[in-house]
Amino acid sequence: MDKIVVEAKGLGFRYRDASGKRKALDDVSFDVREGEFFCVIGANGSGKSTLCNALVGLIPHYFAGRMKGTVLVHGADTRESTIGDLSMRIGLVFQNPFNQLSYTAGTVAEELAYGLGNRGVPREEMVRRVERVAKLMRIDHIVHKNPLELSGGQVQRVAFGSTFIAEPSILVLDECTTQLDPLGSEEIFDIVKELNKSGVTVIMVDHDMERVARCADRVMVLEGGKVAVIDSPARIFGDPDILARGVAAPDYVAICRALKDRGYYSGDLEVEEESTIAAVKESLSK
Amino acid sequence: MMIEIQNLRHVYPTGDEALKGLSLAISGTSPVAIIGQNGSGKTTLVKHFNGILRPTSGQVLIDGESIESRSTAKWAKEVGYVFQNPDDQIFLETVRKEFEFGPTQIGMPEERIKERIGLIAELCGLEGKLDMHPFDLTSTEKKFCTIGAVLMMDPKAVVFDEPTCGQDIEGNRRLCGIVKKLEEMGTLCITISHDMKFVAGNFRRAIVMCKGRILLDGSVEEVFAEVETLKQSFVSPPPITRVAQGAGLGKTVFSVEAFIRAYEARRA
Repeated sequence: MDKIVVEAKGLGFRYRDASGKRKALDDVSFDVREGEFFCVIGANGSGKSTLCNALVGLIPHYFAGRMKGTVLVHGADTRESTIGDLSMRIGLVFQNPFNQLSYTAGTVAEELAYGLGNRGVPREEMVRRVERVAKLMRIDHIVHKNPLELSGGQVQRVAFGSTFIAEPSILVLDECTTQLDPLGSEEIFDIVKELNKSGVTVIMVDHDMERVARCADRVMVLEGGKVAVIDSPARIFGDPDILARGVAAPDYVAICRALKDRGYYSGDLEVEEESTIAAVKESLSK
Repeated sequence: MMIEIQNLRHVYPTGDEALKGLSLAISGTSPVAIIGQNGSGKTTLVKHFNGILRPTSGQVLIDGESIESRSTAKWAKEVGYVFQNPDDQIFLETVRKEFEFGPTQIGMPEERIKERIGLIAELCGLEGKLDMHPFDLTSTEKKFCTIGAVLMMDPKAVVFDEPTCGQDIEGNRRLCGIVKKLEEMGTLCITISHDMKFVAGNFRRAIVMCKGRILLDGSVEEVFAEVETLKQSFVSPPPITRVAQGAGLGKTVFSVEAFIRAYEARRA
């Protein structure tokens, strides 16, 4: 996990429209290593989505505004790469899946294959990948449907699939399960975790702190467009000052802390369900 | 406000049967959550509460009056509906115009509209942003703009479809405040949500849908105790509840305080 695959150096961005009165990102520097599960949290407006757009090259190539600093993906400067080239290496799943689909495709299968056609992938290979991704995302029963007829959850799965299908080695996920029911979104995260285990680097923005704590190798907290802190989930969520930054600790931490305050428990502040249950059970037996 | 549903079926033009004959009564002012897996029919169901969708068969009665007796526009002052995606709802150039549109359409006196704008803007955290273009708002503010636009009409009941989608702590807090305030004002609040923490913390009654039917209907305590049944609809209880269940505390709890009470009862 030593090779750096994404690197931001002094990254700043100011949108050209009305929202550009203040900097969306301001002097953001960090790096992500190969195979890492890197999470980004922070209040709304802290710059999380802007960061995602900058990592995949939509900034500066698509969004109008002033960018400072650099983003390197596999060592290549995003300014000097095209969005097409970048998309084969770093894939983004949008926050709003309705914004991600092309809506020019007549069927889900065509929607999934849409990006591949633009990238010159041969037809047989396209068919093979569509089949595999549809199965992975559990949308194989709706590949012949019109994307406009799908439910919010189904659109989200198609949006995921249309990113996975390019087989990027880095995935950027911008709050990508907001349309899914709880177990459906867990199912998607199991897929993401599998991909991560097989070597795919994941950079994830999410408001679900239980999930962040469970998945992340490291967590970066953004505050007003700046990096507030980068650390392990245990250290970040164990920090009582964290609420001041507009993010909550997982409920597991709150339970452990409440037990500690009352003298029932003296162990670590757990950040996951299973370990919290074990800690509660153990403290009960004492 | 009383919403009665009798043997409601809804079949979309594509042939999909989204609601398979369900019956339900919602009354009073205590907030009601509708939960369940994607595609279970939640949005289809609530779109019948003000006639956006009409039953294929069965009955929808609002305070005893059939939904078929009026147009959707005429129902808007009884039951307000806030869309899942704010971009589906916003269409005017300023927040103020969004706020004025609905009440003007239903013939609310100008004086009353002016009076309400201040109140609703404060409730939605948009006091200083009334003259902004809705598309220049942050995603959170946009959502509150659509909520405000519906509340402006002072409906007897309001339906929120996935209001916590993409909200941060601050937005969540504001939303909890709105749910509470609506109950105080006597407005029935019905909310579709996938956010079980939000449901457990703010609602008394939960209706769980699964494949076009009602799987469970009861108090949030009763519903979240049915862990195995909930799985059928891809729902699991909120984290605190799951830890209490996993550690065998024997109580359905939703807050750290309630967790500690159950824990201390077990120790004693």
